[in-house]
Amino acid sequence: MNRRTFRLPRHGDLLATYLRPLAAPVAALVVLLLASTGLQLAGPQVLRAFVDAALAGATAEYLRNVALLFVGLALVQQAAAVLATYAGERVGWSATNALREDLTVHCLRLDLTFHRTHSPGELIERIDGDVTALANFFSQFVVQIAGSLLFLFGVAALLWRVDRRAGLELTLFAAVALAAMIRVRAVSLPYWQAARRASAELFGFLEERLAGTEDIRAGGAVAHVLHRHDAHLRERVRRTVKAHVIDAVQWAVPHNLFTIQAVISLGLVVVLFRDGSITLGTALMIHSYTWLAFRPLRTITQQMEDFQKAGAGVVRIGELLRVRSALAQPAHPVPLPAGPLAVDFEGVSFVYPETDERPTTNDEMAGPDEPHSSFVLRPSSAPALQDISFHLPPGAVLGLVGRTGSGKTTISRLLFRFYDPTEGAIRLGGVDLRDARREEVRRRVGLVTQDVQLFRATVRENVTLFDDSVADARIWQALEAMGLAGWARALPHGLDTLIAAGDRGLSAGEAQLLALARVFLKNPGLVILDEASSRLDPATERLVERAVGRLLGRGGAEQRNQPSARTRTGIVIAHRLATIERADQILVLEYGRRVEYGLREVLARDPASRFGALLRTGREPFPAPSSSFRA
Amino acid sequence: MNNQELGTRNSELPRAWWFLWRLVRYGSWPWFLHLVIISTLLVLDFIPGLIGRRFFDHLPSTRPVAEAAAGAFHGLPGWLWLLVLAHALQAAAMTALVFGQMKTGVTFVQENAALLQTNMLARILDLPGARALPSSPGEAISRFRDDAEEAAGFMMGFNGLAGVACVCAVALAILLRTDAQITLLVFVPLVLVGAVVTRTQRSLQRYRRKSREATGAVTGFLGEVMGAVQAIQAGGAEACVLRRFRTLNAARQRTAMRERVFDALLGSVFWNTANLGTGAVLLLAGQSMRAGTFTVGDFVLFSYFLGLASYLTPHVGRILANYRRLGVSFERMAVLLGGAPPQSLVQHDPTYAGCEPHPPPPVEKTPADRLERLEVVDLSYRHPSGGGIEGITFSLERGTLTVITGRIGAGKTSLLRVLLGLLPSDGGRICWNGRVVDDPASFFVPPRCAYTPQVPRLFSETLRDNILLGLPEPSADLDRALYLAVLERDVAAMAHGLDTTVGPKGVRLSGGQLQRAAAARMFVRDPELLVVDDLSSSLDAETERTLWGRLFEGTSPPDPLSTPVERRNDGPGVRREGTTILAVSHRWEALRRADQIVVLKDGKIDAVGKLDELLISCEEMQRVFYTRSGCPECVPRRQDGSTA
Repeated sequence: MNRRTFRLPRHGDLLATYLRPLAAPVAALVVLLLASTGLQLAGPQVLRAFVDAALAGATAEYLRNVALLFVGLALVQQAAAVLATYAGERVGWSATNALREDLTVHCLRLDLTFHRTHSPGELIERIDGDVTALANFFSQFVVQIAGSLLFLFGVAALLWRVDRRAGLELTLFAAVALAAMIRVRAVSLPYWQAARRASAELFGFLEERLAGTEDIRAGGAVAHVLHRHDAHLRERVRRTVKAHVIDAVQWAVPHNLFTIQAVISLGLVVVLFRDGSITLGTALMIHSYTWLAFRPLRTITQQMEDFQKAGAGVVRIGELLRVRSALAQPAHPVPLPAGPLAVDFEGVSFVYPETDERPTTNDEMAGPDEPHSSFVLRPSSAPALQDISFHLPPGAVLGLVGRTGSGKTTISRLLFRFYDPTEGAIRLGGVDLRDARREEVRRRVGLVTQDVQLFRATVRENVTLFDDSVADARIWQALEAMGLAGWARALPHGLDTLIAAGDRGLSAGEAQLLALARVFLKNPGLVILDEASSRLDPATERLVERAVGRLLGRGGAEQRNQPSARTRTGIVIAHRLATIERADQILVLEYGRRVEYGLREVLARDPASRFGALLRTGREPFPAPSSSFRA
Repeated sequence: MNNQELGTRNSELPRAWWFLWRLVRYGSWPWFLHLVIISTLLVLDFIPGLIGRRFFDHLPSTRPVAEAAAGAFHGLPGWLWLLVLAHALQAAAMTALVFGQMKTGVTFVQENAALLQTNMLARILDLPGARALPSSPGEAISRFRDDAEEAAGFMMGFNGLAGVACVCAVALAILLRTDAQITLLVFVPLVLVGAVVTRTQRSLQRYRRKSREATGAVTGFLGEVMGAVQAIQAGGAEACVLRRFRTLNAARQRTAMRERVFDALLGSVFWNTANLGTGAVLLLAGQSMRAGTFTVGDFVLFSYFLGLASYLTPHVGRILANYRRLGVSFERMAVLLGGAPPQSLVQHDPTYAGCEPHPPPPVEKTPADRLERLEVVDLSYRHPSGGGIEGITFSLERGTLTVITGRIGAGKTSLLRVLLGLLPSDGGRICWNGRVVDDPASFFVPPRCAYTPQVPRLFSETLRDNILLGLPEPSADLDRALYLAVLERDVAAMAHGLDTTVGPKGVRLSGGQLQRAAAARMFVRDPELLVVDDLSSSLDAETERTLWGRLFEGTSPPDPLSTPVERRNDGPGVRREGTTILAVSHRWEALRRADQIVVLKDGKIDAVGKLDELLISCEEMQRVFYTRSGCPECVPRRQDGSTA
């Protein structure tokens, strides 16, 4: 095992931080363990007294009292041990749950650069797996080690009182056995790691294949998969058998050492007894202590192993906590104005931060919310946006047009302050984003993406995002406005019906409407719609479009010249021209640059306009039925 | 666990012992050796007690001793040397046996678990692909791992039980001879306490299950939250999420503590039984010890045995409780087999026979596989939760494109799945060149047919392995497949190209890349019939256009939004070779090229025809695609239209 993991200060910091609020249970734990240890030491003393008294012809009553004392001490000792378990568990769980919560909050505050390189599974392993390995460290490590050492010292001291040689011999044996047992643990460690790896590979393989039965069958790969599964199985069987057999050393070494100790102790007892320095009762006591000394040795080696495991976890937790979000909070935040928010980009350029951990294909496309292809080649250091400027007055709608990878989604991420621009400034309602509180920015901006992220929770919790303080009336109002009220009323338990990601009971359109209801409830001043309806069939798409219209507030064709009539400013990102029909302004992007910007009506009529050309080529899917189609 | 599921299966499921017997037959040698070894081991474990008794019985006789010899180690009595020798032999024998016990026991458990797992996977892959699992893959994994190992591991526990019986018989014989009265007074409470505590195992398991559920709730929530971090940040819901997380954490702490404390309490009961037993021996033996009829040596033997018993009794309780759970384990595994008889779970499969297996040979395309005409007649499927398809009849000719279209939920994907045997059909027939296909699931596979599902899966292997899926590389035209799937530029942009590890543990591909990788998987098999589920669910219009373009014309069409750098005219389109295509789509690019369009509505065919005709004649087609005309806000205007 690596020595590096034994750096104590970090463990110490963690102990101090998370155990301080738990002073009382920790104190109780210490007292209980000490009591339990002391009572264990007392047992053989009582036995000695009993045997010596019996052989010396003590009264039956006296013997009965000693025997009852023995039973009583044992019962109290067990009670103390059970209570110690309880106190230890409480300390461990309270401390680790606090740590889990801190780590979760920390991760939720980190920007998307971090989340792009760390999968949810990996974060579960950090926040729960590593912390669970630490639980024992918090609750047991120090106390158990101290308790066991105390017991060993106690036994050695008591033997020392009987005979110096006996005390010394036991101390030496304990030291040698401890060293040997810790050394032996290291022997089987690599084999266990190999076995665990083989096991993880087998079940990882299986889980993915079980999720992809359709692909396997349709791809004619059943025999291939069974063959690979067989190879994984063999590997696992071989590694597991090997690890177990080698692990028998863990049992064999202490057992044989202990046999040596038992034999030495027998010799010592004979010598001491023969020269008359001990009684038969004392001989029995020495015999009992010899057998009792075995358990604390086991405990100590066990704890050392847990400590090593926790060590690796502590290092990783430390690394996670050191990751800082690149976005600074302003010292004196400026509040955003109420109502619809104006949006200004002034010479904004942006380069995605380098991510060193994983070779993603390129640019932002690997993000979970943009499942589009990216066959535009761009080195990762190339700017995602270059010198973008536009002015969107409050209540107006901007349509963003461009191919995949042109930087449309980047604009929405900057507006949300998931990142700060590399150059230039972004103003929301006249306030520079860097001068506003991030929480306020996110509260005032609503985002709807193509992928709706649903939680395995009730409809209510999915709409309010777990905010219990939202009244049902408001939820119904939002559902009503988005055209979902009928659907929600038909659910078996109304708002309390459980739904989940990928739920069959929820169509893609309904999920999208649910996401719109979320935003509606938030009542933002700016709404960003990122490809919100591109997955839907045209009929469902119309329902969503209608809801989007309501979300953006009044303002139809007849009011286009008075954009401020809308209650919210909107930015609509789309590949499809139909979805930006409601836009007042159009911004065409290509490779992160602005190639065209202006009023939609003007561009549509301009023969030199790219946007106009797009409209005219009628590339889009649904022209009038009578027209002849271009190839 | 689903009660109904249990109820329907119980009748045909053999008893647990039947399965166990088959497992023992599968690994009979390791099992038998393990039985012998563990019984010997446990009996040997009793020997230090006998040594202790002999020692304390001899000890008083060493007195008095000559002053001169005091303190010297030489001249120790002969009986001591004999005891030392006994100790040494016992330790040596046990050491050797422990290794043997591990080797035989673990081999038995692992190989039997492997047998169960192989049988389960083989049956699952036999089932209609889209309905292969009764629950999530993660849940199925717990059956593969925990239930299989629990079932296989039980026989080791059973051997342990036999060993405990041996040591108890030996010990009882010796103890009864020593002092029958004390033996009975110690033994009877021990058995009673053991029996009572064994019954509590059920509560312990209930606590354990609750605690696992609570843990699952915590990690499940954490996974969802971290997966939806953008939605949470965008919604400003961090504080509310934390509050929920805290509630779940507290619930988990409660259940976990209950489990651990209960476990500690049970352990403590066993210890106390031993201690009470020792106390009882002291109480009873006081008089006889004084009289010399019950020696200190006898006491040592009794207390040694009580220590041994306190550690063996919980073991016995666990094994007995495990047997009860075993039926459930076999049950859970049998459910995975779908319709196959539960007996096939323990079928002795020659695949796992010790020798290294060879990779399966690739299937060659023969002239008999050539598709001339595919007919679907009156095909039906009822989805258990409603929906499905009914009375679907159409046919397709070699070298044509048929597009299935309709609203979401019209049954488009179900139709493809039933046709391919990924869902079981409830009626109707499918004819390939006029001959009825009996088992579509095994018939519609490469090289006859290949399929790109709507949400394809990639596995955590290299992109190359994912596309080939066992196909030998020299015979496969990977470059052509990549080109047709419009994936060649993505591959070029990847750090390791085709050798990039993808899938859940590798580079995360975008939804579009995923679907195109699956398309490449389809193209590389060069099948007679291509079946494609809706590509537009994650391909943007441009890429889909390119894909259809390459498929038909072998070229990329012009694109006004990008500089014209990616025209290519070197790859031949698939269609030139007369491949037949069946696709679900509502995209213009596919519809305009279709030789026939099948419009589905509520699981039935609404109309069949060409696009031009359908847009005029078919109301559903108009509803789906053309009602925009009544909504001036969303119609894209054309040059020749009313705008401009």
